[in-house]
Amino acid sequence: MQKQLTKGNEAIVKAAVLAGCRAFYGYPITPASEIAEAAALYLPQAGGVFLQAESEVAAANMLYGAAAAGVRCMSASSGPGISLMQEGFSYIAGAELPCVVADIMRGGPGLGNIAPEQGDYNQIVKGGGHGNYRTLVLAPDSVQEMADLTTWAFDLADQYRNPVVVLADGYIGQMMEPVEFAPPIAVPRPPEWAVTGTAATRHNLVASIYLEPDLLERHIRKLEAKYRQAEREAARAECRRTEDAEIILVGYGITARVLKAVVEQARSRGLAVGLLRPITLYPFPVAQIRELSRRAKAFVVVEMSTGQLVDDVRLALEGRVPVEFFSRVGGNVPSAEEVLAFLEQKFAASLEPPAGQLEEVLVHG
Amino acid sequence: MQLLTEIRIAGFGGQGVILAAAVIGKAAAIFHGAHAAMTQSFGPEARGGSSSAQVILSTEPILYPYVTQPDVLVVMSQEAYTRFAPGLKPGGILITEQDMVRVDKYPTGVRAFGVPATRLAEELGRKLVLNIVMVGFFGAVTNLLDPDALRKAVADSVPPATQKLNLEAFDKGFTYGDRLLTRLAGNGDHEEALSLESA
Repeated sequence: MQKQLTKGNEAIVKAAVLAGCRAFYGYPITPASEIAEAAALYLPQAGGVFLQAESEVAAANMLYGAAAAGVRCMSASSGPGISLMQEGFSYIAGAELPCVVADIMRGGPGLGNIAPEQGDYNQIVKGGGHGNYRTLVLAPDSVQEMADLTTWAFDLADQYRNPVVVLADGYIGQMMEPVEFAPPIAVPRPPEWAVTGTAATRHNLVASIYLEPDLLERHIRKLEAKYRQAEREAARAECRRTEDAEIILVGYGITARVLKAVVEQARSRGLAVGLLRPITLYPFPVAQIRELSRRAKAFVVVEMSTGQLVDDVRLALEGRVPVEFFSRVGGNVPSAEEVLAFLEQKFAASLEPPAGQLEEVLVHG
Repeated sequence: MQLLTEIRIAGFGGQGVILAAAVIGKAAAIFHGAHAAMTQSFGPEARGGSSSAQVILSTEPILYPYVTQPDVLVVMSQEAYTRFAPGLKPGGILITEQDMVRVDKYPTGVRAFGVPATRLAEELGRKLVLNIVMVGFFGAVTNLLDPDALRKAVADSVPPATQKLNLEAFDKGFTYGDRLLTRLAGNGDHEEALSLESA
């Protein structure tokens, strides 16, 4: 397919429709509103359903219903809206149903603001609803990945029968970049567990209630085993210039884009810096982080929160290497220059100009 | 095109700032074989409020999609000029909607070009296409992108019913810019050429 210059939020919807999504339930909120807007345009064109619910609580429960019917379905929101949906996500995970949710993070807490932030990492990655469940979480850092990871999210949701969240920030959601979309797939038939109103599915039961403690324990153990399996199979990360890196930067979403520029600039100043970008936030790329810790002298986590991703990096490292932390919050995106200044301040000792630069100084001096 | 060119377009809501930026991004990324990323201000702004968009054009994949100091600044309102002109890169290009923006003193070391885009659009019967006039003018005076790529991007970005009008708007802006450049080359005095009104 030819490349299209597409806004991040719109790319999610186009990719979803191409991946066979035929139902969208949501309620608009900045900076995720273009998802609902695009869904209102493209879902009906594809013979699907777009429904603007009366609230996010209702939208999440409509999603629950559509997922139970075995339809590829999705919703999208941000901050306060996602908070309202969490009860529904817990039910959907408890009932082992697949669905995809796009969360375009904005500033919080409370109403906060509508600028990009990453303060909802814990809410999504650690499961903001009640009970022993997890959502699988994918973190795009480009508009191309908004499309690609949405496609993958539908497959993961079906494979693990669990909600999958595409977690982006207002920056990635609002940005336009060229995208090459995957070819459309045939809309999958409802799986055998779905309830479709036919005689054949009459005895299928969709529920998250297990009144007997032994039965609920068995159910929770089953979910737990499923999450362990996802941890073994599905963790993904992008590594950039890490082969000889002594300092490993860690960041996701728009922060990772900043860090990619930082890596190049730091290298030109003689710092052996590399980047590990988690593509899946849950399951977390623990093995990849541990592998890099064998060579690295330090890890530096950069995020747009007061410190959430950094906890997972520390847990993965188990104290093997020191971890430094840099953050901007409130809707501010860290600049490459300020991250670079932070690195130079922390690692000044290892900053020696490479031979070539030194020569140049001598010549001009 | 140089390795990396940062462009900021700003004006007020309703002038088509975002579409102008999207057309330039599309021309580069889809029809010129380069890379582009576009970001825009988003906020509780209504029509008439301020609006700005940033485009990065590059021969290499774009790592950091954020404009810090634009090489090219296109301003279509006085407020946008006041806010963004100080951030223009030394040696950069300033493009103004000359009826909307009064410049008392041009920043030093900046190449400035003015165009009465709104008036030119009105001559075509639709004030609405001033943004596409601006894109045409931008294409001529910056010479960053293949004019044909820009033209294709215009055609590809507007509703079919308004395609002819928009292409006329593009051509009008481009021709105006082209003639301005010729005149500049002729008399060698930038300031004087700037003060010449539309011929």
